[in-house]
Amino acid sequence: MKCKNAETLISRDFDGLLAVEEKEALERHLKECSSCQERMEDYSFMIETLRDQDFPEVKAYFWERLQSRLKEQRIYDVWSLWKRWSLRAVPLSIVAVIILALGLVLFLPQPKEELSQTEALLLRNSLPYPETLTFLEEEGTENKGMQIIFTAMEEKQDTRRYIP
Amino acid sequence: MEESKLVQQSIHGDEEAFGALVKKYKTKVFNLAFGLTRDRETADDLAQEVFIKAYYALGKFKFKSGFGTWLYRIAVNHIKDHLRKTKKARHISFEDLHKESRLSEEEIHRRENAREKERRIKLLHQALQALPEKHQIILTLRDVQGHSYEEIASMLRLSPGTVDSRLHRARKMLRAKIAPFLSQEGVNHEM
Repeated sequence: MKCKNAETLISRDFDGLLAVEEKEALERHLKECSSCQERMEDYSFMIETLRDQDFPEVKAYFWERLQSRLKEQRIYDVWSLWKRWSLRAVPLSIVAVIILALGLVLFLPQPKEELSQTEALLLRNSLPYPETLTFLEEEGTENKGMQIIFTAMEEKQDTRRYIP
Repeated sequence: MEESKLVQQSIHGDEEAFGALVKKYKTKVFNLAFGLTRDRETADDLAQEVFIKAYYALGKFKFKSGFGTWLYRIAVNHIKDHLRKTKKARHISFEDLHKESRLSEEEIHRRENAREKERRIKLLHQALQALPEKHQIILTLRDVQGHSYEEIASMLRLSPGTVDSRLHRARKMLRAKIAPFLSQEGVNHEM
C-alpha cells in the first residue's frame, strides 16, 4: 500500500467507513511504515481534539434579544421602503407635473375670442361703416377733414354721434 | 408541539412558535458559529443574524428537507460570508501563532501539561481557521458537530461522494498545517 492511499484510509477509519479488508490492510501498512504511524497519531490528535472540545454557554436572553432585533428590523424595513419609494417619487412627480401641464395647455378648451363690432357686422354681411360713407363721399378735402375731426370729438365726449 | 406545526405557525407570523424553534436550535447554531470563529461574542452575533435571516426567509421554506437542515444551510452560508470578510485578519492571527509556537519551543519543558494542551488546541483551531472556508466548514460540521455525511450533503447541497472527498482533503490540509509544530513538540496523544 502507498502512503498516500494509507492517509485516505486513516481519515476514513475515524468515520468508521472502512471495510474489514481495508482495515486489515491499513494495520499491516502501519506496522511497517513509521511515517504513516506518525500520520495516524496526528490525525488522532486532530480529530479527537475537535470532537472533544467544550463550547461556551449561549449568551443569556438569546430569544429576548432576538425579538428586539426583529422589531428593529421591521421598523428599519418600513423606513427603508419609504426611503426607496420617496427617492423614486421625486423624478416621477416631476414627470407627472410636466405631463399635467402639457395636458392643460394642449387639451383645455380655449376661451372664444369676442368679435369686434366690425367683424360682427361683416359676418352678418352688413356694411361696417355706414356712418363714414357721407364724409368719404365728400369731395372737398377740407370738408372731409373737418367732418372727421368733429366726429372724433363727439365720440370722445360720448354725447351724440354725428348724423349726416 | 410538532416541529412542522411550529414552522407552519411561524410562517403565518406566530412569533411564539418561532421562539420555540429558536429555543430548540439556538445552541446548535451558536456552536457551529463558535466552532468556526472561536469567539463567543461573534458567535452570538452570527447566531442572532442567522435566525433573523431564517425568520424573513420562512416563506421560502417548502418542507422538502427538515427545518434543522434548512436552518443549518442558512447558518453555513451566513458564517461562510463572515469568514470570507474576515479572512485577512484570521490569516494574520495564524501567523502570530506560528511565531509564538517557535518562541515557546525553547521553554517547552518548563510548561505545565495543562497549559501545553491548551496551547496545542489553540494551535489546531487557529490552523482550522486558516483553511479555506469550504474546508473549514466541512471539518466543523463533521468533526466538531458530528453530523453524518448525509446530513452534511443535504446542508451543503453536495453529493455524499463530494462530502467524502472534501472532508479527507480538508483533514489532509489541516494536518499539513499543524504537523510541523506537532513534530517539533512531540504530541502526547494520551492528553
